[in-house]
Amino acid sequence: MLLLAVAAALTLGIGVRPVGIAEIWQAFAAPDPNNPAHVTILSIRLPRLWAGIIAGGALGMAGTVMQALTRNPLADPGILGINAGAAFAIVFGSLLLQQADVGLVAVLAFPGAALASLAVFLLGGGRHGDAGPVRLALAGAALNALLLSLVSGVVVLRADSLEVFRFWVVGSLAQAGERPLMAMAAVTLFGAGLALALAPRIEALSLGSALSRGLGTRPGRVQAGGLLAVTALTGAAVSVAGPVAFLGLMVPPISRRITGHELRAELLVSASLGASILLLADTAGRLIFAPAELGAGVMTALIGGPVFVLIARRLLPGGQT
Amino acid sequence: MRGAIILAAIIALSAALSLTLGEVHLGLDALWQGLWGGDGPGALTIRIIRGPRVAVALGAGAVLGLSGAIFQMLLRNPLAAPDVMGFTAGAGLAVVAALSAGLILPMPLVAAAGGLAAAAVVAVCAYRPGQSVAPLTLVLVGLGVAYTIAALGAFVVTRLPGPEAAEAQRWFAGSLAARDWGHALQVWGIGAVLALALVPQVRALELLDLGSDLAGGLGLRVGRARWLLALTGVLLAAAGVAVAGPIPFVALMAAPLGARLAGARGATGRLAAAAGAGAIITVLADLAARAAIPGLQLPIGIMTGILGAPYLLWRLSREMEKGEL
Repeated sequence: MLLLAVAAALTLGIGVRPVGIAEIWQAFAAPDPNNPAHVTILSIRLPRLWAGIIAGGALGMAGTVMQALTRNPLADPGILGINAGAAFAIVFGSLLLQQADVGLVAVLAFPGAALASLAVFLLGGGRHGDAGPVRLALAGAALNALLLSLVSGVVVLRADSLEVFRFWVVGSLAQAGERPLMAMAAVTLFGAGLALALAPRIEALSLGSALSRGLGTRPGRVQAGGLLAVTALTGAAVSVAGPVAFLGLMVPPISRRITGHELRAELLVSASLGASILLLADTAGRLIFAPAELGAGVMTALIGGPVFVLIARRLLPGGQT
Repeated sequence: MRGAIILAAIIALSAALSLTLGEVHLGLDALWQGLWGGDGPGALTIRIIRGPRVAVALGAGAVLGLSGAIFQMLLRNPLAAPDVMGFTAGAGLAVVAALSAGLILPMPLVAAAGGLAAAAVVAVCAYRPGQSVAPLTLVLVGLGVAYTIAALGAFVVTRLPGPEAAEAQRWFAGSLAARDWGHALQVWGIGAVLALALVPQVRALELLDLGSDLAGGLGLRVGRARWLLALTGVLLAAAGVAVAGPIPFVALMAAPLGARLAGARGATGRLAAAAGAGAIITVLADLAARAAIPGLQLPIGIMTGILGAPYLLWRLSREMEKGEL
């Protein structure tokens, strides 16, 4: 929580125009529409902060649920193509509908995320019980490549703007002001509640399906509920921040270190860690090449790629597959 | 022999299609006249616009396909292609970085350095002391390295001014726009030299296909042969990247497609078929990318992504049925 508070303060304070903590407080306590610093805080950086908290928290939790469900340390909504599914549905939907209303098109993120998570679950061999981590990761990578190619194709069709391309292919918090923040915050809360409610049963499932049935859990239902939670969380995150990858990969191992193996606590820690990391990544991305911005998605990928390598090299010891 | 004829026919057909179709449709007769002189619209198209583009596509596709076949045979795994493992992305990153830093260097050398660096990183990261490295570990570690390189690419691109950034972004996805005969000469020249260097190594590749123990027993210096083959493979891929960007999935798809089209057996046949199939895939994907939607040129990388990713999924489900994953 402390980390989140620091990250939030940095998001508000740092940027092309630095603002002191006292003045941030002033902006909230006694907003002055003529003070440019106050306007910056309230109308530009505050939406960014909300977007970061929603998307980061949602992706952190989504990754935790996926890793617990699949028992695969490489599970992440970005790597397995679920982010890309949501992004593709939004981009393609707004192309077909010629719809300017952001909120309406953003709803499409959910069927997109649901279809992609179902697809990767089936392709990864989920039906036959344990999907091997390698297979799941490769199936996800392929799905991701396919959907992001389609997204790039559609985005190139619509506008040659690099900003739009970056948002929908890599993810960033730069368009926070235009995204449907309130609605997606509500969906995130729903997904979080569902994940927390299912947590004990997901834990039971990880003991193996026979044993968990003995404990009164129905594996099919828990899996479906888990997929629903992942879909809600991922869809909400993508509609405010684009397909930011790797948060769901790196957050769960850290929160497992902190909480031990208690899924509910792990979920809560993951949410605040995910939000903090995304906000810090965004702030760093704004600072490095100021005034040019490096999308938050690029920053998370810069950290997340090496994390993926570290996990992958541990996954397959020895000469067998 | 029959396979070679079939492949050559498909290559010729693809090239002819690619030369005639596009923004301006040309008849074969106009092309023919353009080829032999005169200054009609056919001459302009074939000599300056589409001719070099098709030549570059054929060359880049061939070297990428060859490189894919080498790694797939060397690691005995159909997923082990230089594009899946991040080698082509490394070569592409090096080129984009050199361009953005304003360095005037020969691009094939820069691409080769980047590709070798990426391959070295993958090898080092996958290495565990005292254990042999499973091909799938290399594939998975390479995937992570490819992700990292893509992020680094975005990092470099952000520093460029607007129009150049868009251009670099396009190139990093793989693009054949605005190629000239110099590029074609370059990729064909380097490709020919490397293919010649590959000839004495074919026997080693055949022996390694029997398993490293048996190959060693038959007198092959396994370690040295592997390093040389990997080096040749990375250099081939880099030669393609230097002129066409890191086009995804061509190297992955070429060898299996070539084997199917030509029914080739033996290492030499499979390598040649992979080169031919790579050329076919690249030429046709480029044609689809620029002619599918009138008035709009998509980068070829988007097209091979749309084609290649489903292939990878299908391959995975096949591997799983065979119980290998």
